[in-house]
Amino acid sequence: MSTIKILLAATALTTLTAPPALADEPLGKGLTMYFQMGGTSGDGATLARENGAKAAAAAFGIDLKAQYSQWDPGTMINQFKDAVAAKPSCIEIMGHPGSTAFHDLVKDAVDQGIVVTVGNSPLTDLQKEFGPKGTGYTGLDLYAGGALTANSMIKAGKLKAGDQAMVYGVFSQAERGLSEKGLADTLDKAGLKVDRVEISQEVNSDPSLGVPILTAYIQSHSNLKAIGLQHGGVTAILPEALQKAGKKPGEITIGGADLGPATIDGLKSGYISASLDQLLYMQGFMPVVQCLISAKFKMPGLDLNTGAGTVTHDTVGDLTKLIDAGIR
Amino acid sequence: MARPEKASIFQRVEGLPIIVVFIVILLLFMYLAPEVFLRPFQYTTFLSTLPPVMLLAIGLTFIIGAGEIDLSFPAVIGFSGFVLAIIFKEGQDWIVSATETPEGGFLASPLAAELIRWGGVVVALLAGVLIGFINGVLVAKIGIPSFIATLGTQFFWYGMATVLSGGKSYALRGAEDSTVWRTLVGRPLSSSSVDWMQRLPIQSLWTALIIVFMWFVLNRHRFGEHALFIGDSNPVSRVVGIDVEREKIKLFTMMGFLAAIAAIFQTMEVKNYFGNQGQGYLLIAIASVLIGGTSIFGGRATIIGTVFGCFIIAIVEPGLVATGLTGAWVNTVRGLIFLISIIFYLHIDQPHRRGALFARLTGGRASGGGGPADNQAESAAPSRR
Repeated sequence: MSTIKILLAATALTTLTAPPALADEPLGKGLTMYFQMGGTSGDGATLARENGAKAAAAAFGIDLKAQYSQWDPGTMINQFKDAVAAKPSCIEIMGHPGSTAFHDLVKDAVDQGIVVTVGNSPLTDLQKEFGPKGTGYTGLDLYAGGALTANSMIKAGKLKAGDQAMVYGVFSQAERGLSEKGLADTLDKAGLKVDRVEISQEVNSDPSLGVPILTAYIQSHSNLKAIGLQHGGVTAILPEALQKAGKKPGEITIGGADLGPATIDGLKSGYISASLDQLLYMQGFMPVVQCLISAKFKMPGLDLNTGAGTVTHDTVGDLTKLIDAGIR
Repeated sequence: MARPEKASIFQRVEGLPIIVVFIVILLLFMYLAPEVFLRPFQYTTFLSTLPPVMLLAIGLTFIIGAGEIDLSFPAVIGFSGFVLAIIFKEGQDWIVSATETPEGGFLASPLAAELIRWGGVVVALLAGVLIGFINGVLVAKIGIPSFIATLGTQFFWYGMATVLSGGKSYALRGAEDSTVWRTLVGRPLSSSSVDWMQRLPIQSLWTALIIVFMWFVLNRHRFGEHALFIGDSNPVSRVVGIDVEREKIKLFTMMGFLAAIAAIFQTMEVKNYFGNQGQGYLLIAIASVLIGGTSIFGGRATIIGTVFGCFIIAIVEPGLVATGLTGAWVNTVRGLIFLISIIFYLHIDQPHRRGALFARLTGGRASGGGGPADNQAESAAPSRR
């Protein structure tokens, strides 16, 4: 009898103490994730994503490996191959190279049991095909995001039919270009005369190279009323370009993307009228969560739209500290 | 009479200094990230990503060995890649439309599609040859310094690719079903039961064959000898009867040809033409050549050194990421490796520099000189390594 009591006591003690001990172990322990961050470490369109991913990885105990491609699709492909060779639990990719370039590589990775998820720019075909294996998407509905930015520009700048506008973007990139297309199409529908100008790869990688290009365009188009962008880095340098072109805040309505420090200054000064907030922090945080729930619990990929809306001169004040901290 | 100094093993074995550097780096990564570098998959990945860079670097080895430079090869990657992609994707439609071929006609058949795609490969190669030839004429006949000439042609051909493509990228859907893809970049052992063997890309075999061939050209053929003589001294080369202008034209044309092959491998491997493809290769290819031991001053070139220089450059980023360092460190580490490799090579491979360094460190006298001026008088004959 006494033996049974001892056994019962031991069992009760184990039951009471085991959950806390087990709960100490992070949920994602043992998982490794390769994460394509996009540009370069710390740049305005990448910082919040980095911080979100690192925060999620730290919270869940996931070993995070960050890759930076300077937004070059060819580099993204090669980095994905390197990631697959390392056989991690998960890989996050971006849609810039397109589904055709990625399909066989992603299929190979998924067949090896690696969870591949997508962020920032979608790969709709791959998300449909591999969704049950954890391929989700965290990012904007690109076309809708561009349209949202355009509508904010029209409202902020009181733009009307016949006004001249320029949309400067990466129209050529598969799926990623939908963002600029949404913006340009919406301005078209509002009756504006829209000039579509492609961002070169040099400017794509180093937005500061866009200053003389934009300055020249602005000075050569004296009737220009609006400039629309969906490139976070180029949005940040636009106030400088406008100043160099001799423009005052509000003379040209600017609609952009993302919320880096220079963009905040632009919003506060009035040079930038509205900037699309795509919650870059969430674009870093949620793919790590996707990795956890798919790699560990075999849940399918989730489609998370991070298009929160636009930030304007009137609303930026509340967010300044969070933006400087690389969270918004 | 003083006995001639016996060449050290580092001087007798081509590329040995850089091979040692590579092995050290590889062992370090194997120790720090065994889950990646002690398995074959990272190396099969290199076999698919390295061939374009290797081919560019091999061509540059000749160019730099001849005392010149070529900055236009990224534009060849772009222009030749565009030519291949547009013919591959739309060539048959153009021809069928232009000749009003009916459905069921030969030109509309799958066989014709394959022939047209191979025609695209040929046209892409010719585009690279043309660009190289023009570079050669600008440098050799017109006399523009190669740095300036090829910088200008880089902008021009890159711009032409952008203008002709409309800035768009081209996805080559279904490329893996074509004989072009299977022959040039396919996986010939895909039915093997061994996982890593299934992934072996055939472009690595083609690249290896080209490298072996180019080694023989540099080290056993008159053309290679001429290139290094020219790199050593243009006037002396003319005196010994080398047609310097003709050889330079051949060098740049060869570079254009190799860059076109790189463009074809790159475009077929990713099954896409990207508007900016090739841009990332400029500094990587040049760094590979210089790390490998080819002299920036000309007159000395090594194919094996270049090959291992490429390996070193390629291994840094995946190695750093696998060990947990953020990818932001990549360029810093590459720069350090570059400088250390160059210094290591100079001091191990050149006894007078080694002696001077030793003397400085120990406070003794140097034997046999050791300043930079001695480099000029080191050898009257061009040296291959």
